Formats: sequence, structure tokens, C-alpha cells
Amino acid sequence: MDISTFGQKARKDGDSHKTTALSQQRRNIQTYIIIILLIAIWGIFAIATKGGYLSSQNISNLFRQMTVTSLLAAGMVLVMVIGGIDLSVGKLAGFVSVVVALFQRDIWIQIIPNQPILAAALSVVVGLFVGALFGIFQAYIIAYLRVPAFIVTLGGQFILNGGILLVTAGKTIAANQPGFSDIAQGYLPKSAGWVLAAVVIAALFVLMFQDRRAKARFGFAPKPIYQGISRTVFFSVLVLLYVFIVNQYKGVQIPVLILGMTVIVMSYISTNTRFGRYAYALGGNREAARLSGINIKKQTFLIFVLMGVLCGLAGVVLASYVGYGTIAAGAGYELDAIASCVLGGTSTLGGSGTIFGAMVGALIMTSLNTGLQMMNVAPAWQYVLRGAVLVLAVVIDVYFKKSN
Amino acid sequence: MDEDIILDFQHITKRFPGIVALDDVSFQVRRGEIHGLCGENGAGKSTLMKILSGVYPYGDYEGNIIYDGQELKLEGSAIHQAAQEGIAIVYQELTLVPGMTVGENIFLGREPVEYGAILWDRVYADTQKILNEYKMNVHPQEIVRNLGVGKMQMTEIAKALSENAKVLILDEPTSALSEAEVSQLMEILETLKSHGVTCIYITHKLEEFFRITDRVTVLRDGKVVTTQETSNLTSEKLVHYMVGREMKERFPKGNRQPGEVIFEVNDLHALDPDKGREVLKGVSFDVRKGEILGIAGLMGSGRTELVMTIFGEYGKITRGTLKLSGREIIIHNGHEAMQYGISLVPEDRKQHGLVLISSILKNITLPNLDRFSSFMRVNQDLELSESMAFAKDLAIKAPNLFVPVESLSGGNQQKVVIAKWLMSKPQILIMDDPTRGVDVGAKYEIYKLMNELAERGISIIMISSDLQEVLGMSDRVMVMCKGSSNGTLDIAEATQERIMALATGIA
Repeated sequence: MDISTFGQKARKDGDSHKTTALSQQRRNIQTYIIIILLIAIWGIFAIATKGGYLSSQNISNLFRQMTVTSLLAAGMVLVMVIGGIDLSVGKLAGFVSVVVALFQRDIWIQIIPNQPILAAALSVVVGLFVGALFGIFQAYIIAYLRVPAFIVTLGGQFILNGGILLVTAGKTIAANQPGFSDIAQGYLPKSAGWVLAAVVIAALFVLMFQDRRAKARFGFAPKPIYQGISRTVFFSVLVLLYVFIVNQYKGVQIPVLILGMTVIVMSYISTNTRFGRYAYALGGNREAARLSGINIKKQTFLIFVLMGVLCGLAGVVLASYVGYGTIAAGAGYELDAIASCVLGGTSTLGGSGTIFGAMVGALIMTSLNTGLQMMNVAPAWQYVLRGAVLVLAVVIDVYFKKSN
Repeated sequence: MDEDIILDFQHITKRFPGIVALDDVSFQVRRGEIHGLCGENGAGKSTLMKILSGVYPYGDYEGNIIYDGQELKLEGSAIHQAAQEGIAIVYQELTLVPGMTVGENIFLGREPVEYGAILWDRVYADTQKILNEYKMNVHPQEIVRNLGVGKMQMTEIAKALSENAKVLILDEPTSALSEAEVSQLMEILETLKSHGVTCIYITHKLEEFFRITDRVTVLRDGKVVTTQETSNLTSEKLVHYMVGREMKERFPKGNRQPGEVIFEVNDLHALDPDKGREVLKGVSFDVRKGEILGIAGLMGSGRTELVMTIFGEYGKITRGTLKLSGREIIIHNGHEAMQYGISLVPEDRKQHGLVLISSILKNITLPNLDRFSSFMRVNQDLELSESMAFAKDLAIKAPNLFVPVESLSGGNQQKVVIAKWLMSKPQILIMDDPTRGVDVGAKYEIYKLMNELAERGISIIMISSDLQEVLGMSDRVMVMCKGSSNGTLDIAEATQERIMALATGIA
């Protein structure tokens, strides 16, 4: 007899565990709070602008505007989950944007003239490569030389600032070539938007039924079917509503599509892979993770490399979005990204945080930005209000956690 | 008999949503006695002490506490008020600032000040006075981080005494102490008693009640079962009161026949990871298949360092070999150790064993995700169904597997750690103090489980500071002394005296 039979006898009983755990509820409350906050902000702006805020044009621009910060926030969540921080992400995105702009303006024209699509594609590759390279550089120092991430990335920020000045020589580099501009300024044809919506909804239903089948295979009592269906229908309606609104304007925005795919991939990585699970364990208790056989250095290294890759992607979108590379590119974005994560419930102590939460957080930050601009609030007061909302949201969260 | 009562609990009832933690608790504590408080985890000991020390303020519970002839009403900043009244609590987890000196800690928040400047000479002089008075051998200027657990605890007690504590609550003070340190603590408690300080003493180690207390109150399910003179009690009676049923034996009998030698350690020397000091100076022992090998030794004898080194997560091995099934192996890290079938249940479950904010499920499967995963995906349904089977076999008590482990009792947390390592299907399971801070009932379950595992052919290496546990559970006992193995005893020839002789280096 050996250990492999241990644990078998109870397997067949298959009693269903209810997911009504306290922690689950608490996490849900946190998500509800920020969603309610978001809706409140939209409501206030809608009234203040007499509905102008909710016009299809504004909604379309709002989502387009949040992409760069959101891409950074998507990586920052995992960095913060392992108890780290990355202060270089804004400048890294900025550096990538000027490098890519340089390639667009000077290099592709000589190697592959008159091939705008190929040039844009190669620019994406270059951007990801540069981001990954700098990510590897910082990640190595953080993970293997054991220098605190705060210091390394603070230094990285300075270095990149110098790099930006070197590449631009203090001047602006145009990156408004056709093809490349579409990355952040293009739209899907309206019919393609509807097709996309249909595909997404079909996928939602397929996934729901697959999940039920898998649960049944392992002997879990299935939840009532109407629960799954009503959930899926709810999300389907959201997708349809979104496509309907943006199609009123110019169609589904390509940068939002890029962001959407990135978020799906990152969410999947964080919850459904060993890599993601180890990150949460590492942030929750480093020693326990180490004694569980997790290679802490490698895990830390990979997280920071992934952050670098996402900075690369964000940099490409940034260059395309503004249409040129400048010395100010990406300045302060790291703080927006961190604020988005914190708003979305990521703990600054590590161990918890979700990609979805950070996206709602980024949406809140961007919504405040655009709304206050529409209302012609002075820039000074925009900063004050954004800071106040950030702190207020965390205060509410802390209060709710306590009263639980 | 005219009794001098310092504390009189009268009909204390404390409700939490859904449960009654304390149900009409009444008993009295005499001035200057050491009063034991005994009960399984969840019996209400901690809740009662939280009321007494002001964590739950007056009005949060029903009933009265008469303290020194007056009704005790701790309101507002109740914890502070309790301290002012002279009620101090020394927690299981110590609450000192590690980077400060003993003196700084003792006077933290109450530093004597003249013209805005702290009178450091006075701090250290007063500290020395207190330490001398209670015969505590600690240096006032020592940084707390550099002290052993025993001396940290002395510091904590000294801190309470410096605040003129009349009642001192000790919550499991010996759970992290070596035998020698326990003896020192007992002496200090005797000194306190002679100074007229009243102690309420909580522990899971029953023999300590007989060693030190005058009277014992037993709680079960939030109710007082009895208060008796310790001299009228026996361990059997005490256990009977605690669990409400007769427990014939503390250690369940196993029925196992250890097989051939499976794992050998020969002349192991190793350095510690930071300072390069040699912590293992020649350790040799072997383990047979399906055997429970106890490792005894004093604190600081290198027991934990030994198993951590074997597991590949401590310092560098400078000499010696490890052999598994006759083949020499080299282990660089815990991951490799697991691949050889060696698992480690670490000493401190909160610091080293568990991710407290994570769910039971995620803790159990953390080292075992490889079994449910491809590169791309963790099969979460398979993960849950396997984990549920283990949770059920180990009788982990929790509403479901999604609750964070921080909400579980000590015994259940320990079961989660064990489940986690059993799932990795070890050949050799190293358990470093597996029943520390676990109540009697849960201890028994863990012992039964260990027997069952050994019967299934798993070899268990168990470190324990509790000699009775070592004697009750092991087939053989290896004794360590100052970093080397000082002999292995067959259980038939092992006695507490012989083990202590080997551990202290007399034999």
C-alpha cells in the first residue's frame, strides 16, 4: 500500500462546497464599491455636462484614452502582488515610444519603403523587444542581485529619461505615418464590430457550458443553470451595449481591442496558471512559497520581464496615440498605473489584487480626467480632485473591511 | 477559610454572531496564586482573557468582573486602562520591537523625560533594577532581536511588571521554549508569586499545570467545568474535564513494522546561510521505511537547521553525504527535495508553512500545482476535488476550502500544512514540531495520522521539544547536542533521563 491511495476514499462522496466564503464576499464588496464609485462619477459628470459626457463620441474617446495607463496597470498588478513596485514604467513606455517613432520616421523608409502595414508591424516588434530588454536588465538586478525594486526602478527612471533625451536630441519625432497611426487611432468597420460582438458572446456561452461540464465530471453538484445563464446574458448585454455605443461614433477602437486582448491574457495568467498562482503565494508569504519549492528568484525575474513587455506595448500605443515621440513622453504614467491598481483593490503589501479591479481603477482615473477637462476645471483643481478620489476610495475600502 | 480574592468572574457571557463563546462563566482567582486556565482551542480561554485585558470593553459582554473589591469597567481605550489597573497580558506572539534594546522596550511609551530629553541612564538603571528583582538574566542594553525566545519573554514579563502589574496573564508562554528555558520561566513565576503577583497561566502542556499552578479552572465549550486545587488533579482527570470524555492514552498505539533503511545521513557538516558559521558539526543517522524517527535536543542544538539543510533550503553543506535507497543524492533546493520524495512540514506554520491570506485550497495545492497543470493551465476542478479528498481525510474543520487559513484554529492550520505536504506524496516526511500550539484533541488526531502514514510505508522524521511526545510516538530517538548527533536510542531503552543526558552532553 502506498500514499497514492490516500485521499481516494472521500473522493467519490463529492459534496459541493458553497462559495459563500467570507473572503469571497469581502472581495466582492470591494469590487462593488469601485464599480459604484465609477457609476457615481459618470452620473455626476453626465448631469454637470447636461448629458454631453455620455455621448457616444465621448465614451469612445474615454476608453481609447485609458489604454496606455491600463496596459501599464495590467502589469503593475502582478508586480505589486509579489510585493514589488516599478517606478520606471512611465519612462520605459516613453522611451519605447520615441525609439519606435525614430524607426517610423527614419529607418523603415530606407529598408522597406511604401509598406506601411509591414512597417507598423515591425514597429510593434521593436517596441516589445526594447521593453523586454530593459525589463530583463532591471529584473535581473532585482531578482538575482537582490536590490530592492524601488531603488532599481527609480534608477531605471533616471536612466530612461537620459535615454529619451539621447534618442530625441531634445526634438519631437513624428510618428503619424499611415498604418502606424491605426494602432491607437484606428477603428474596426462597424459590421466587423458586430461580428466581433457575436464571437465574444458565443465564446462566453461556450465557456459557461464547458465549465459546467468540467464541474460535473469531477462530481460537483452543479449550480442552478439559470445562474450561469443570467450571468452570461448580463455580460453579453454589456458587450452589445458597448458595440452599439461606439458604433454610433466611429466603431470599435483598435487600441481598446488591443487592451481587451491583453486584459484577457493577463487575467488568465494571473488566475489560471501556475505562474500566476505562485505570484500570489510569493506576495502572501515569501518563506512559505520558498519552502513549497517555488523558485522565488525566477518568479520575480519573470514578473518584471513581463512588466517590461507590457511597457513596450504601451509605448507603441503611446507613440501612435499622440502621433509623435517627445521628451515628455510617459512622464508620470507610473503614478497613474499605481493609483489604478490601488483603486482596484491591489494591496501595497503584496498578496492580493486583480487585473479586473485595476482596469476599473484605470477607468475611474481616466473618467475623472476627461470629465474635469470637459467641465473646464482648472488643471490645478483636477490634480486635487483626482488625489482626493484616490484617497477617499481607499478610506471607504478600509472602513468596509473593518466593519466586516 | 477566609479567602483573599483578587478577581471574581461573575456570570460572564459573551456572544458573537452565531455562537456563544462564553456561557455564564463564574470563578474566582485568589491573590498571589498561579491559576491555571485549561481547555481545548475554542473553549473560550482567549475570549475570557480578551475581556479581562480590555480587548472587548465593558458592555460588550454580560456579567461582572470584581477586581480587587471593585467592579472592573474597562471602557473607552480599554486596553490602556487595563494596564493602568495593573492587569497585563503576555501574548503567545511576543509584542516587542526587535530593533530596540531591552530597556527601550520596557519603557516604550513611558520614557522618563526631563526638559524634553529622555533620561537614558534612568531607563537602563530602572530596567536593571526590575531584572535583578525578579532574577532575570538579561542585559538591559541588549538588542531584542539578538535574544533567544526565552529572554524575549522575560523582557515582556519585565515590561508588564515595570507597569506595576498585579495580575499577569500568560498565554501559552512555553510553546516556543526549550526545556532549560521553561525551567527558568518556572523559577521566575515562583519569584513573582513570592512578590505577591497573581498569575493566570494558559497552556496546552498539561504537565506544566502540575509543575507550577496552585489551582486550575477548566473550560469547555464556553462553560466552566470545574475549578480545583491542582493537588487534587491528575492528567487523566484534567483531560477528562477538557474533552468531556475519557481519553485512555495521549498517544495512540500504532501497529507498524519498520522495514529496511531508506535514508542515511553520514557525518553531515554545514554552515549557516548568512554568517558562514558552522551549525552542523557531524550529524549521522538513518531512517527505515515506515519508521517514525524522533529527533530530540535542546533549543539551539541544530535540529531545525539539520532538517532545513537536508531539505536544501538552509546553508551550505561542507562535508558528509545523504543517501536515499542506497544512492547518494545532492539536494540544492526544496523543489529538488520534493522530487526525491522528501517533504518538510516546517516549524513555524504561520511564518514558513502557510500563506495566511490565501484559501485552504490554494495553500494545500501550492507545492503540488504541477500535478494539476500543464504549462498553460491549472485544472481548477481537479485541484478542488483532490484537495477536498485530503481535507476530508484529515478532518479539516472549515465551512469550505475557500476560507482563508488565517480564520482557522491552530490545529486546523497545522492539518492544512500536513495536507499540503501529503499531497506531494512523500517517501520521507520531515515534521518540525508538528503539534506546537495545537490543542489536545487535535494533537491526538495528528498522532493518529502519523501512525497511519507510517503504516503506509512513509518514513517520518519528527522533531519535538516535548519529550513525552518523542517517547510516545517514535520507534527510535536521535538526540542532538550542540550541532552534532549524540546517539540514537531504541524506544525500548529510551527514557526522559537518558535523552536529557545525551542532549545536554553529559552522556
